[in-house]
Amino acid sequence: MGDAWSNILVASFRDVVERLAHVAPRLLAMAAVIVVGWATAAIVRRLAVHVFRMLDLDARCARWGLTASLSRSGIGQLPSQVIGRLVFWTILFVALLTSIEALEMPATVGLAAGVVRFLPNLVIAALVWMVGWLLANFMAQAVLIAAVNAQVALAPLIAGAVRWLVLIFAGAAALTQLGIAREMVLLTFGIAFGGSVLALALAFGLGGKELAREILESRFRKRERDDDHLTHV
Amino acid sequence: MTEPIEAGHLLRDDDLRVVDGLGPVEILVGVCGLNQARTVVQVVEAAAGGLAGPLADRKAGIVVVEAGFAHETLDAVGGWLAGRAPRPPVCCIRIAGPPGRSRAILGALAVVQRLDPAACALVDAGLVSLTSAGLGRLVQPVLDGQADCVGPAYTHAASEGTLTTNLLAPMCGALYGRRIQQLLGGCAGLSGRVATRLLGTAAGGSDLTGHGLEIRLALDAIVSGSRIVEVHLGRKTLDPGLAPPDLATTIAHTVGPFFRLMDRYRAFWSEGGASAPVPLIGDPPAILPETGEIHLDRMVRAFKLGLKDLLPVWEQALRDETLALLYPLGLLSADEFVFPAAHWARTAFDFAVADHEQRLPRDHLLRALTPLYLGRVAAFLREAQAGTPARIPAILADVGMAFEAEKAGLAARWR
Repeated sequence: MGDAWSNILVASFRDVVERLAHVAPRLLAMAAVIVVGWATAAIVRRLAVHVFRMLDLDARCARWGLTASLSRSGIGQLPSQVIGRLVFWTILFVALLTSIEALEMPATVGLAAGVVRFLPNLVIAALVWMVGWLLANFMAQAVLIAAVNAQVALAPLIAGAVRWLVLIFAGAAALTQLGIAREMVLLTFGIAFGGSVLALALAFGLGGKELAREILESRFRKRERDDDHLTHV
Repeated sequence: MTEPIEAGHLLRDDDLRVVDGLGPVEILVGVCGLNQARTVVQVVEAAAGGLAGPLADRKAGIVVVEAGFAHETLDAVGGWLAGRAPRPPVCCIRIAGPPGRSRAILGALAVVQRLDPAACALVDAGLVSLTSAGLGRLVQPVLDGQADCVGPAYTHAASEGTLTTNLLAPMCGALYGRRIQQLLGGCAGLSGRVATRLLGTAAGGSDLTGHGLEIRLALDAIVSGSRIVEVHLGRKTLDPGLAPPDLATTIAHTVGPFFRLMDRYRAFWSEGGASAPVPLIGDPPAILPETGEIHLDRMVRAFKLGLKDLLPVWEQALRDETLALLYPLGLLSADEFVFPAAHWARTAFDFAVADHEQRLPRDHLLRALTPLYLGRVAAFLREAQAGTPARIPAILADVGMAFEAEKAGLAARWR
């Protein structure tokens, strides 16, 4: 009885040790991958911030209106720091996926490869979105200044409409690149864009008498301004 | 460093042959055109009259330089040439490349370099107010050895040339120490040496946008220590040509190059002291009473609209303390509107710093200045209307002093 009991205990203990011996290297490998990934991410982040600062990215983004947009979105950091963070978390995310892969658990086999295969699309979509965002800010600012100089009273509204149109277009392009419900995105974009144009046309024609008057008045006022005996140069 | 520009770089072989046909000349008049067929003949006639009058004993020539896209300018001159006496000789050339007033001036300078005259006059092909006597006044001080650079001074009303009187001239005086009345006078007399040096140092690119070269010409004369005088040429009437630009574009094409040149001449202006007037030859220009109607309420409305809607843009260009000075102005009606010269000087220099630091796309920044400028013009004209025309020079002197008072702060912030 006593021998049997001790045999069972020893077998169980040996079984646990064998299992641990089998898993431990993988756990160690996982931990090592995470630590190395974290260290790499931190180093690359510092490098990226340094390089982008050398390229004067922060000043350029301020010029393009990106810093102001980030600030309006509640992101108080400089663009070089934001990119540094993105780089850090991307590398750490890849390292985490690799570490999970190192466990060789049936549920996670091929997960990292699948995600990595999807990364280029994600990067392109992010780039499309970023370019769209920059373009939206640039165009909205240009329209705002031109409209105010033309003394159109609803200049911020027009500039806002331009910004959102460009953002919606960029968003649709980014989602299409990701392949997320491509048909639905196209359909939704078509309906939203067409609907916006129709709504604007109806609003302008039926409900926007004030806006129409403003625009006509601004044109008329411009004509009047030209009649001023004023030369600037 | 940029490569010096040679005449051969700008002019084609055909043009060089035509220019050489003028022969050695003592005086050269360059009529610089940008699609100004409507007025070019009148200007060339005035120039020819000037050279045939008191300057008839000097060998002289006229070159018409067209840098626009229309052929009509040179056709108009060609038609006029067909039925006139051959003296003084006139030739026409066309500068290839993108249309631009500065390119026309550059072409005229290239001809000066080629022919090496003792004196030259550069005249805008739209300056219909130029008279034969006026042309003589432009070149005579150079021929007499009194000056290297001669600028015009015009009789004007308060509402004429407000961008010059309220911004360009006071900025120039404060920064460069010389109170030049007309940075964009539409004409200038130069010694051949100064003209050739200007061509040799003229940079490509940004300096040549808009009125860049005209402003560069004036500032270069100051910085290089050239002897500058002004001559009174009566009233100024300048036809801009086919498509007169809107106000925002005018500001971008004038204030923009001025701001950019502040980088180039930083060492000069950051060291300079108080300003001095430029010697004037002849009678001083008069200030005339207003004859036309001025709608101050529209300008004030433009300012208020800017203060309401352009604030996100202005916040990137102006300091908080400058904005704090502007907010109360938005509460004033057109009848009581003021925009003190000190506030205006701070505003203009804040924009200069913002342009230098490239906080915004350059064109956006300069165009965003328009409502502020209109506000200042409204305040200036209201102040001018409240008194006699004789008081206007004192008002403008105050503007100049306000800019001079802000100069030290500007130099400290310019990194």
